[in-house]
Amino acid sequence: MMVRHGKTVLFFIGLTLWAAQPVLAAEGKTLQIDGSTTVGPLGDAFAEVFKELHPDVSITVKKTGSGDGAAALIDGRCDIAMMSRFMKDKEFQQAVEKGVFPVAHVIAMDGVCVVVHPSNPVTELRTEQIRDIYMGKITNWKELGGPDMPIVPVSRDTSSGTYESFHSMVMHNEKMAANVEYVNSNPQAHARVRSTPGAIGYVGIGFLDRYVKALKVDGVMPTRSTIAKGIYPVSRPLFLFTNGYPKLGSIIHAFCTFYLTEKGQEIIEAKGFVPVTEY
Amino acid sequence: MTLWRQIKNTLFTALCSGSVLFLAATLMIFLLPMLWKGSKAVFFRKTVEFDKMQKELFKRGHAEDLERRTAQTNQARQEALALLEHFSRGIDTALLSREVRSAYQQLGRHLRYLEVSDDEYARLREQAKDIRDAFLQALETTDKAEAESLLDTVDAQQTNPRFQNSPFEVVFSLSKQYRQILQEIDLSRRPEYAAELDIVKTEMRNLFGPLPGESIPPLPQDRFGATRWDVAQRHLQYLIYQTKWVPSGKDDKRLIPKQIRRDDPEEGIFGKTELAPLFSMVEQNLAAMLQPRPTIYWRYFLDDSTAGHYFGGVGPEVLGTLLLTVLSMCFAVPLGVLSAAYLVEYAAGGITTRIIRTCINTLAGVPSIVYGLFGLAFFVLLAGNPSILSASMTLALLVLPVIIRASEEAIRAVPQSYKEASLALGAGKFRTFLTVTLPAAGPGILTGIILSLSRAAGETAPILFAGAVALGPIPDIGLHLKWLFQPTRALSYGCYDITVGDRLAMQVPHNQFGMVMTLILLVLLLNLAAVLLRWRMSKKLQGL
Amino acid sequence: MTTAGSQSDAAVQFTRPLRLTFRDDLSSTLLSWLVKSFLFVVTFCSVAAVLLIFVFVIRQAAPFFAESRVSPLERLTEFFTSRRWFPEHQAHPEYGILAIIAGSFYVTITSLLIAVPTGLLAAVFLSDIASFRTRQICKPLIEILAAIPSVAYGVFAVMVVAPWLQKNIGFPTGTNALNASLILSVMAMPTIISVAEDALSAVGREIREASYALGATRAETMLRIVIPAAHSGILAAVILGMMRAVGETMVVWMASGNATQIPSPWWDLSQSVRTMTATIAGELGEVPQGTTHFHSLFAIGLVLLIFTFCLNLLSEHFIMQMKKPKR
Repeated sequence: MMVRHGKTVLFFIGLTLWAAQPVLAAEGKTLQIDGSTTVGPLGDAFAEVFKELHPDVSITVKKTGSGDGAAALIDGRCDIAMMSRFMKDKEFQQAVEKGVFPVAHVIAMDGVCVVVHPSNPVTELRTEQIRDIYMGKITNWKELGGPDMPIVPVSRDTSSGTYESFHSMVMHNEKMAANVEYVNSNPQAHARVRSTPGAIGYVGIGFLDRYVKALKVDGVMPTRSTIAKGIYPVSRPLFLFTNGYPKLGSIIHAFCTFYLTEKGQEIIEAKGFVPVTEY
Repeated sequence: MTLWRQIKNTLFTALCSGSVLFLAATLMIFLLPMLWKGSKAVFFRKTVEFDKMQKELFKRGHAEDLERRTAQTNQARQEALALLEHFSRGIDTALLSREVRSAYQQLGRHLRYLEVSDDEYARLREQAKDIRDAFLQALETTDKAEAESLLDTVDAQQTNPRFQNSPFEVVFSLSKQYRQILQEIDLSRRPEYAAELDIVKTEMRNLFGPLPGESIPPLPQDRFGATRWDVAQRHLQYLIYQTKWVPSGKDDKRLIPKQIRRDDPEEGIFGKTELAPLFSMVEQNLAAMLQPRPTIYWRYFLDDSTAGHYFGGVGPEVLGTLLLTVLSMCFAVPLGVLSAAYLVEYAAGGITTRIIRTCINTLAGVPSIVYGLFGLAFFVLLAGNPSILSASMTLALLVLPVIIRASEEAIRAVPQSYKEASLALGAGKFRTFLTVTLPAAGPGILTGIILSLSRAAGETAPILFAGAVALGPIPDIGLHLKWLFQPTRALSYGCYDITVGDRLAMQVPHNQFGMVMTLILLVLLLNLAAVLLRWRMSKKLQGL
Repeated sequence: MTTAGSQSDAAVQFTRPLRLTFRDDLSSTLLSWLVKSFLFVVTFCSVAAVLLIFVFVIRQAAPFFAESRVSPLERLTEFFTSRRWFPEHQAHPEYGILAIIAGSFYVTITSLLIAVPTGLLAAVFLSDIASFRTRQICKPLIEILAAIPSVAYGVFAVMVVAPWLQKNIGFPTGTNALNASLILSVMAMPTIISVAEDALSAVGREIREASYALGATRAETMLRIVIPAAHSGILAAVILGMMRAVGETMVVWMASGNATQIPSPWWDLSQSVRTMTATIAGELGEVPQGTTHFHSLFAIGLVLLIFTFCLNLLSEHFIMQMKKPKR
């Protein structure tokens, strides 16, 4: 009994050592997708439909954030990196140094919508006001014409692409105040705002529903058309990054051009994003 | 004085008992709602849509029976759907715009077919595009005069011979159609109608699946209507009532929600339109339209799920958790039991033993997230990618001290006379341990193993980075052992993800709580097994 | 839960079976030596594991302190004294974890304030008041309380407690220090109860009887005699409970709100805080490997590890003290 267990242990230790080489990455019919939690639902849905079209391909979608998606692509840990921002200079440099040449595919547009609880009478804010809220200069809704209620600013965690978009487009790279709450995903941000009358948060346009109220930013309401046209001040493209342009006809190529098909477009709309092409 | 002392004493006793009662109450406050809400994932009233979903996604159910019920429900729905379609023709310009767009696309194909020259092709396409854009703009505008002048520009091209007898001709008849609509409805209210109609349509889809004439949606979650009666009830509310946020009238400026029936003749947006009968029609006939029946969906624990756990069960999560825990036991149990044997039988005190003991205690005290860090830094970076193997080895380290302590206690509890008898018969020390002590301590060790199984099953932080994913292929277990190097879904991580990380899941709270319930049940069952085992053991010992 | 430290004395008298021939003797001695060293090596795995954990966490944390742009001393000073945690800022990242450490302490201390009195009273009930049968019922109850996975508690905190706090108490946010502390106290209680009960039982029967014989009531006996006598074991219980609370991840991550701030005024538990464990769990998954931010999270892990290690040594010290008078 004991001896057999000992063997099992040895066996598994051996296996671990063997595992030191990434075994699976070398295999052909797998597709590793990694990256942004914003693009993640799209990746999931694409993968789901893809599974029906190509039953022999095993697709893994990991939603670990844009930064990690870039790093994974650079390290060769994934085939496709989903990103809600463009690659940074540093990441590009690292990639090229490692012989990876990132190619961007814009698959959809997304607007970062500023949302509040529906009981909040405020309907419109200027970017400066939003910035002041997140910098802690405005702390009560009554300063903005709302009820006497402390503002609970909710932000995405600092590694997310949504945060970076918001940070550069609204915050102009100013640091946020200490009382800002951090949540780890869009749904969580949505849930926090939904359940908190005094909260303000920001989510992708796919997360607007009856439970939260989107604010006009600089007089522009976030809608599909304002985002697609880029009128809404906080809109951004969503990317897939691949190492070089994928070989035509390969599974990666099929995945990266899936957004052009009608089904892909429908999914993009179903998931609440804005397709880049009109069909 | 004595009285005072007695009061104090009674108070103290009451406090002590109270605190235990408080604990029991806490447990109940926690367990009951979680299990109750979770049980709705298994016990609920299913609708005909549920059977359709099961048939299509999981290939089960009686085809004939389902067909019959589908026919029945379709008949019940027919009137309402027809009403909706008729009404939306006038309001919903998306349909018209889609037809115009498709006509434009077909024109291109038609021209290619005719093999016109490239210059001609480009010119005609350009013209057609102008017409299309004018039409689309006419659809979008809320100013009647503007719309009509735009339609005039469209109609001006009607005489163009190139467009006659081409697929693009449709556009001109559509334009005529739209002119008629313009006469009938109040354009200024149309956006309002359109927005509300959009919601009504969405809710109708949520109730009854894709509307007639719509293509099959690409995502499974949109292919079916309300599969559960409670979900159907919720969507019915959304369908009938419009929530308006209105000033509360008090000074605090906060808005309060106000429910308005959409078909309310005074305030409801559709109150005075021909759509009004729809709402009461659906409200009264919902049961006939969906045919709810109570069901026990025991396959919840085995079924795979669609993305975001919208449909289906927690099968892959359960499997993943089982794989992780069992595999981690494969590492931890031999190590733990042998370590315990050493500590009990051989350890001679002294500095080495003290260091070992300190280390085991340290191991027990290391925060679970640090195990996660270690798992990432050691196993994952070493092996390249997160996998079942790295996650289970991390878990093995985590439960190692638990197993060592439990085994130690069990081995110590074996009566000395057993060992003495064996030793006296001439068996060596190690043989005595293997053949006498270990079997006698077996149930105790097993209890420890079961408890650490439950611990490993519930831990989330260590596997966060070491091999758990929210969505991934089901590991195909086999002798080829490749599955060891795949990441897997797990109940514990799934619970986290479904609570905070998924938008779809927010719409299916029964599945959120269902997953947590599954985890709690699993842990409770393991603990129950441990308690029973211990109880049997103590009875046996008493019997000696 | 207790660390047993006694040795098997009785078996020592029977180590050798009857001696037969020289070869038998030699082989059996060799065999037993082999077995012993094999078992020792196996047991040493635990030690190796602890060492490995330390080594790997330190190895990943080291680049954070040894980065060339800033001197290690500056880094350290910033790390422990600055409240500003902006690891992802492009131009001027800041890595101050003072507020995060403070957050950990907030939830830990508050949860102990609830868990220690309740746990201690429950331990008194179990050791001195309850009948054998009651104890048989209560013990599994407490075990179940301890066995419920932390993520399940976390879901409870987010989906049940947080809305309740918001609606009925009127906090601006339901995920705050108080919510996390409440749940943590429930999680720390089983540890505290079982260790404290051991400590109370370890105080001999004679002492209690002497006290009762002098006419003391049960309250007086427990509060004035038994609890003071068991103080080191109870301290160990508190420390072990504290370790549980400090190291807990999922609950605080889900329930504490994760705002990097020290509440002001300092006693305001309705504000969100962020703990060390939550910072690691929340950020590590999304941060690219090899960046300073990545290493800084390991540095936080190292702080956590060292802290719990010290607590552990302390608790061991107290447990040893508790065991001494018993012998």
